[in-house]
Order: sequence, then C-alpha cells, then structure tokens
Amino acid sequence: MQLTKPPPPLFLDLLKNATVLVVDDYQGMRTMLRNVVKEMGIARVDTANSGKDALHLLSQGKYDLVLCDYNLGPGQNGQQVLEEARLNKYIGLACIWIMVSAEKSSEMVLGAVEVKPDDYLFKPINQAMLETRLQRLVTRKKVMAEIGAAVEEENYLKAIALCDQRLQEGNTQPQELLRIKSQLLMTIGAFDGAQAVFETVLKERNVPWARVGMGKVQFAARDYASARMTFESVLEENRMYMEAADWLARTLDAMGEGEQAQKILEDAARRSPNSAARQKSLAETAYRNGALDVAQAAFEKTIKVSEFSSHKNPAAFTGLAKVLSDQENPERALRVLDQSRKEFPNNPEAAIQMAAAESMVYKNMGDTAKAEAAMAVAEQVMSQLEGKVSAEVAMDMAKSYFKLDKKDRAAELLGNVIKNNHENIELSRQVEGIFEREQMGEAGQELIEKARQEVFGINNEGVRLANAGKFKEGVELLRKAVHELPTNQVIILNLAGLLIAQMSREGKDNAIAAEVRLLIDQAVRINAANKKIHEYSAVLDRLMKAA
Amino acid sequence: MNQDEVSFTDLIASSVHDMKNSLNVQIDTLENVATALHERGDGESAATLGAVIYQANRMNVDLIQLLSLYKLGNSLYPLDIAENSVAEMFDELLSQNGSAMELKGIRISTDCPDDCYWYFDRDLIMGVLLNALNNAYNYTKDEIRLVARINNGALELRVEDNGRGYPPSMLTDDLTAENKGVSFLSGSTGLGFYFSSRVARIHKNGERCGSLAIENGGTFGGGCFVVRIP
Repeated sequence: MQLTKPPPPLFLDLLKNATVLVVDDYQGMRTMLRNVVKEMGIARVDTANSGKDALHLLSQGKYDLVLCDYNLGPGQNGQQVLEEARLNKYIGLACIWIMVSAEKSSEMVLGAVEVKPDDYLFKPINQAMLETRLQRLVTRKKVMAEIGAAVEEENYLKAIALCDQRLQEGNTQPQELLRIKSQLLMTIGAFDGAQAVFETVLKERNVPWARVGMGKVQFAARDYASARMTFESVLEENRMYMEAADWLARTLDAMGEGEQAQKILEDAARRSPNSAARQKSLAETAYRNGALDVAQAAFEKTIKVSEFSSHKNPAAFTGLAKVLSDQENPERALRVLDQSRKEFPNNPEAAIQMAAAESMVYKNMGDTAKAEAAMAVAEQVMSQLEGKVSAEVAMDMAKSYFKLDKKDRAAELLGNVIKNNHENIELSRQVEGIFEREQMGEAGQELIEKARQEVFGINNEGVRLANAGKFKEGVELLRKAVHELPTNQVIILNLAGLLIAQMSREGKDNAIAAEVRLLIDQAVRINAANKKIHEYSAVLDRLMKAA
Repeated sequence: MNQDEVSFTDLIASSVHDMKNSLNVQIDTLENVATALHERGDGESAATLGAVIYQANRMNVDLIQLLSLYKLGNSLYPLDIAENSVAEMFDELLSQNGSAMELKGIRISTDCPDDCYWYFDRDLIMGVLLNALNNAYNYTKDEIRLVARINNGALELRVEDNGRGYPPSMLTDDLTAENKGVSFLSGSTGLGFYFSSRVARIHKNGERCGSLAIENGGTFGGGCFVVRIP
C-alpha cells in the first residue's frame, strides 16, 4: 500500500513493454498474479495452468518475465519447467524467472538444483514486494547480460575478462562474480586460475561452492584422495549439498570403490530424487556392482524423471533392458527397447545402442541368430556414421560382441576407443574393466598399452617434425592420424597448433585458417574444457587480424 | 491412531502455520480498506485502521518467529547463508512497513552504502529487523533510522529511534530470554529477543559468531537495537 504515490520507478519503463507469463494451477492465484503485474503497467500478460501448457507458450520464445508457481499439481513442477525451458533455449539469458512458492525448501537453497531461477518469492505476495524484487533483478540482469552473451557464443575468454572488469567496478555482488569466473575457468580447463579464485574466497569465508570447487580441481589433477576428503567434509556440514555428493561418488568410482560410490548416490537420490543425471549414475554404478534391484529402480526413475524432458537419454533404456535381461525377464527387456525406439526415432547413436542391447537380450535367451542379426544392424548404422561414435556407444557394442564370443571385433572396437582417447585415464580404466569381466585382463592391458603407444608415437613424430621445421611432413602425418582417429582431441589440437605455427612462420593463409577453425570446432564438440582450444582460437583471431 | 502420538509442538507448529496464512489475508484486505479510506479523505479512520494493521503485523512477526524457531529446533530450517545486498533488504523492509509508519506520522530513513554486501540468511535477518522495527514503532517519538556498516570484519545493523530509550534494567550485556524476564503480566514475552539472539548466534564465520546488543544513544539519542554478523 502506498499512500503518497511515488513517481513510477525507472525500471518500470524497461518492463513496460515486457511480455509476461504467469504459471499457476490455481485459478485464484493466476488472476491475483496477473492483476499485480497489470497494476504495474505491464499490458501483455499470458497465463498457463500447467507445466505442459507453459512450455507450449514458452516455446514461442517471446517472454521477458516468467512468474511460475513451484507446485503445479500432477505433471512437471516449476523447477522442471524452468530446466526444460532453459535446455531448449525457449528463454534467453535476459529472461527473468521468478519461482513462487508457499515456503522455502532445502532443495531450493542448497546445491540440489543446477539450473536456478533468478529469485524465489514466497507467498503471500503483494505488489510492493514484487516491485522491489523486480527492480533488483532488472539491474542485476543488465550487469550480467554481457557476460551471459559471451558465454552463449562460447567466447569464454571474453566472459572471464568481463567478470574481471565488473569486479573492478565493484558494484555487483563480488562473490557471485567470482563464482561465475571460477566456473568459466573450470570450463576452459584453466584449473590453476580457478584454484586461485577458490583460495581467495576461502580465505575470507568457508563457503561450500568454493570448497567443492577445490575438490573438482583436485579431481582434475587426479588427486582423488584429497578430492574425496574435500567433498566428504562439505557433505558432513551440509548433507543437502548435492553437488558435493555427486562429485564424491564420481571420485570414489575413479578410486575403484564402486560400493561406496553406490552408497553415496543412494543417499543423495533419496534426498533429492528428481535429477535424471544422478539417477543414471546410481543405476550404472549399481549395475556394475551387480545390485540389479537398485539398478532397475534407478533406471526406471531416470526414465520417469526425464519423461517430459528433451534431456532423455537412450542409455537409460538400454541399461534398463540389460538389467531386466540379467534378471531373466527378457520379454520386458524387449518391450523396453521397443518403447525406446519410439522415443528416439532419428538418433543413429541411440539406434546402435539399442541394437547392441537387443543382441545381448537375445543371446541371454539363447537365440544366437537374432543376437547376430541385431549386431549386423548396429554395424550398418555405424558405417553410415563413418565410424564416428562416442566411446560409450563403442563400448556398448564391444560388450555385446564379447557376449557373442566375437572377441576380435570387440577388441578392435575397444582399441579404437583407446586410440581416440589415449590420454583419458578414466576411460582406459573402464575399458580395462570390460576386459577383466571377460577374464581377459592381461590381454586387455597389453592392447591398451599398445594402442596408447601407437598414438603417442604418431604424436611425438609430428611434434619432432615441426620442431625440425618440417611443417609439411608433420602436418601430413597428423592429418592422416586425425582422419583415422576423428575423436582424438589431443591429435586434433596438435594438428591445429602445428598449422598455426606454420602460418606464423610462413604468413597467413585463408585455407589453412579455415582448416584450423574446423579442427577447433571438432575439438569443442568432444570436450570444451580444454585450455588449448581457447588459446588457439585467440591466437588464430590475432593472426588473421594482423596486417 | 493413539492421540498421545501427536506431538503437542508439532500441533502448535501446524496451527501457527495456518494462523499465519489467515492473518496475511486479513492484513492484505485491511491495507486495501485503509488506502480506500485515505483516498476518500477520511484520515482519522485510516489512522485508526493503521493501528489495527500494526497490531496484525506484530502478530504476523510473532508467528513467523515461532515457526522459524520450531524449524531451527528440529533441524528443518533450510538455513541459507548467502551473499546479500543490505541496501536491497532495507528497501524491501521499507516497502513492507512504510505505510504503517506513515499512518502514525513516523519518518523512517536508511543509511547504507550501495555496495554493502554481506553473508547472511536473508529471511531470518529480515525477521530480526522486523521485530526491531515493531519495537521502535512503539517507543519512538517520530523518527526511525536503519543503519548498516561493516566494522572489524562484521556487518553491523542498527535500528535507531528518537524515543526515551531502553530502561536501565534492560541494558545488560547478556541478551537472553531468561535475563529479559519472560512475563505474561508485563506483556513482554521475550520472544523477539530470544529469536533475535538465536538468529545472531547461528550466523558463524570461522570461530566467530553473531551477537545482539541494545543500547541508548545513536543518531537520535533514543533506543538502539544492534545486530552484528561476522
């Protein structure tokens, strides 16, 4: 209530032409919120009464402000609607999302959710409250908008520079900026820089996000023992800090302590059950541990949680099918795979995974002919993809071949996984695990070692030729290697580096620059968290701009 | 189900929750009526209603405090010690309480740097300040000031008024309910102080924890309510 009407605040001018969406399953609340917004002078207000309805409207991509109730009755809740809207880019970074709720829950305040709304508003809501909050959010959005835009175009170095600039200006939440900066540094693989940020923050105050950050740096340095201690200590103080739980499980897995990892994930999934990624890690860990009941429940929950989401993952379906097959329920396993085919109609990698899973189910049923036919389908799709499949897909195929006793093809596939990821220790360990389960541990180790040495050899030879000034020969060698190992990021980036070095020696060349850009794109698709990607792309820009 | 199995505290807590919701609907309606009266030029009735709204707000603050204490005691409160803008919190307090103050002819001002950010649980500290504002409303002559400063690595929040100040008996160092004399006779329940000191103490940074003080003096020479958060 305002007795002496103040002049309309400046920010309302910015919002006057905004388009607003109000989402609530109660008619009364919808009307109330719409009226409050209209009172503020905003003319364009739409309403939706369910998550599905809201997503349909959001998909038009025209909203600047969303007021969404957390509890939307059956179907998705407000958080899930937000996650899907962000994931599908229905809302840009400039859109303000306010979650309305009856009360604060621990899921909202702690690290339980990854995608957060801009603010929470707790009932009862009045106009004065909404106006003060909006004023604050509009100002904050403006400060963050440029950083957000740089992130959206994947120009992380620029985003980091903007963070530093804002920090110097000193009129935004400094800790929030440091948090964003540290995330960006982790994204590009600049772990030293990120660590420095975490240390600065921790000197002042013991905040959990910075401690979890330190743990991630330790994990990246493969110092698993320290990472484990860090994540455990955060969890001890804050059982609801889910990010710490997820990372602790990942660390334990890397240390080979699958049972412990499963325990941590089970506990985390009980506290915060609606994360598809967490349910899937639990399912996979439990399956590896042979805890079929836990795996089944978690795979089913993964599918259920992501049912309405475009975040659906075929591995949850194939995983469930394999569990069901191991539980001697092949009919249900095949039904799950049938359903999965309908869920992922135009996804060749999914088709391969489903065929591989189907082959396993049939083999378990004793129908070798059908099992082999399924693998023939998988091979056909793979050849359409020119062999460019993710390590996960290749390993799925290899497991099915082992089941069919076609060890040669299985070993060939796994060898390729290693050659394409010769520096990835975690993946090597997974491949080793597959061989061990086939009682072929020793042969597996030998194969892994040979595959790694082969790639190291090519790589070293390329570097040696470059150092000797023989760019042409070095480039030729690495080009051939990239062709054969299209997902080996190290080789791709070394070729890019070599081409850049050649240009800086021999002058710029548009054709070579284009090749380097393609290589950088290829590397980004594999994993953006590599400092070299961002360094090379900055050097290339400088080189091409120079006279 | 055996009736003995129902915990009396749980029952009170759920009732308090329900009362709080009803009360909020009442306050909202009363404010609309008061605005209408004021616009019609009936200042006298509006002022009377203002006093009613003040009492309702006081009840609301009590209920929120009871509920928070219940949750804190049962580890149900989702404590959220995060970086907050103090200036923004002051703005929000004014937008919620400005009208009742204005109806009583009280001038309320804030003194806080724009770039004052600190770590605290926003809702709990708002509750503490609301309680202090309600006290000041009662005892001030016509002036209240909200002040924020960062001093010796702690955020100092002050609510100052130009009333006669606290009686000497209340100016002890130890601000706990026992020392403030919880009494049904005097009408001083001690709830506000108990809640505030509890909230101050759960704000910790390393070895240090928050504290509460009342004193006389400040800008206006009246009562001052001071919270320090490390």
